Amino acid sequence: MSAVLLILALTVGVYAVAVLEDWASHNRLRLLGPVISTLALLGQESVLHRKNDRLFFETAPILLLVGALLSLAIIPLAPGLIVTDLATGALFFNAALAYVLVALIMAGWGPDGAYGMIGGWRFLGQLIAYAMLVVMPITTVAMRAESLSTITIVESQAQLWNIVYQPLGFVLFAIAGMAMAFVPPFDLPNAEGELAGGVEAEYTGVRRMVFRLGRMVLILSVASATTVFYLGGWLGPWLPDWAWSAIKILAVTALMLAGGRMLPRVREGTLLAWAWKLGIPLALVNIFLVGVLVLVVPL
Amino acid sequence: MSLQVFFLLAFGGAAVWFGIVVFLTHSMVRSALALLFSQTAIGAMFLVMQAEFLGVLQIMMMATEMSIMAIFMVMFMMDPGGLGEMDMKHQRKTSLAAGLVAFFGALAVAVFADWGPLATDIPDAGEQVRLLGFELLGRSMLIFESAGLTILTAMIAATALAVQARERGAKA
Repeated sequence: MSAVLLILALTVGVYAVAVLEDWASHNRLRLLGPVISTLALLGQESVLHRKNDRLFFETAPILLLVGALLSLAIIPLAPGLIVTDLATGALFFNAALAYVLVALIMAGWGPDGAYGMIGGWRFLGQLIAYAMLVVMPITTVAMRAESLSTITIVESQAQLWNIVYQPLGFVLFAIAGMAMAFVPPFDLPNAEGELAGGVEAEYTGVRRMVFRLGRMVLILSVASATTVFYLGGWLGPWLPDWAWSAIKILAVTALMLAGGRMLPRVREGTLLAWAWKLGIPLALVNIFLVGVLVLVVPL
Repeated sequence: MSLQVFFLLAFGGAAVWFGIVVFLTHSMVRSALALLFSQTAIGAMFLVMQAEFLGVLQIMMMATEMSIMAIFMVMFMMDPGGLGEMDMKHQRKTSLAAGLVAFFGALAVAVFADWGPLATDIPDAGEQVRLLGFELLGRSMLIFESAGLTILTAMIAATALAVQARERGAKA
């Protein structure tokens, strides 16, 4: 039963993210937009480049989708409504999403096109900026919960959500999460208008559809992780547990997509400089502060 | 043969096969990613052997490390795409001999070493993480701290060298 519910939640979630992304980019709320796009992509010819690296070209969209799906496996929507409650859940989330990078490098290298290749390697630079800022705030979340299990992490926020207990960590994680899902202003690998779609540029038809689907699951996964780590997951009054999870995840997605759209795209050099000169020292300060808080005010 | 042994053999075979692919391909990127999937298969072996933390850590670390290696190989090699069919093997006989000696050496250690009694009560994954934490901040602290410091020194030295090289280039 819970397996059916989880698949249903995933389908609805991905559809909602697709509608929200369309709304954030075009300022129009089209509820049937994703259906029309899917049909259009299914009808489109799948073009294959000359001198491509076929193996990478074909594997990349699938690897992106699989990595993003695996990362969702440790996200609890309600007590008991989770694919698997791993003892290393918070770490597993990172491990699964590390393969997004591999997928984008493959997608950039595979089709033998300049825009794609620049996009793929750019994401590697982006990873060097955001990777530590994802892991270090998660460390403090685990410090408070005294566990890496995502269910224990949500339960540890029963008295006070982490967004209040460790606001600095939340800000860092939210920014790094946006860079991880390459949503604007961190959409360096597919920068439309500059790289003509970058890693996605050479993909058409069904392959592009799988790629876009993977991207939607990735955005959903980052929003869900933000909810679980900082916004108390399913915790909340009156409404059922799953409803709180859904509301929070969709709200985070909407804020991420709409907020990012207002900002100018960050150059990768600037992003790296900010991440290493400002972000990582702040993340270290956060670890120290939360360490003191956990000992002095154990809420 | 239990399911555990079957998966251990399957992932072990995958790790060895991807290791061989590293040398079979001409493309630098394919070679780097084949090494990545070899290491990922080793991570999966850890998972099969119920060492969850080590497995997940291995799978996570290797993805970024091997990707970074791939970009360095593309930057520094003359034929990153492998279109010129550059051979990945150098000093063929010497490396083959060294590889065989290392392989049989490792095999001998595996077969003849006294591994002690087989562990029967394996702590659950959560307990393993806790014990590993105590190990890292207790008995093994000095080793890990010195390793960390060494890596940090190497990183700073590499950055310093890279910056100097760029400045020299700019002057010329």
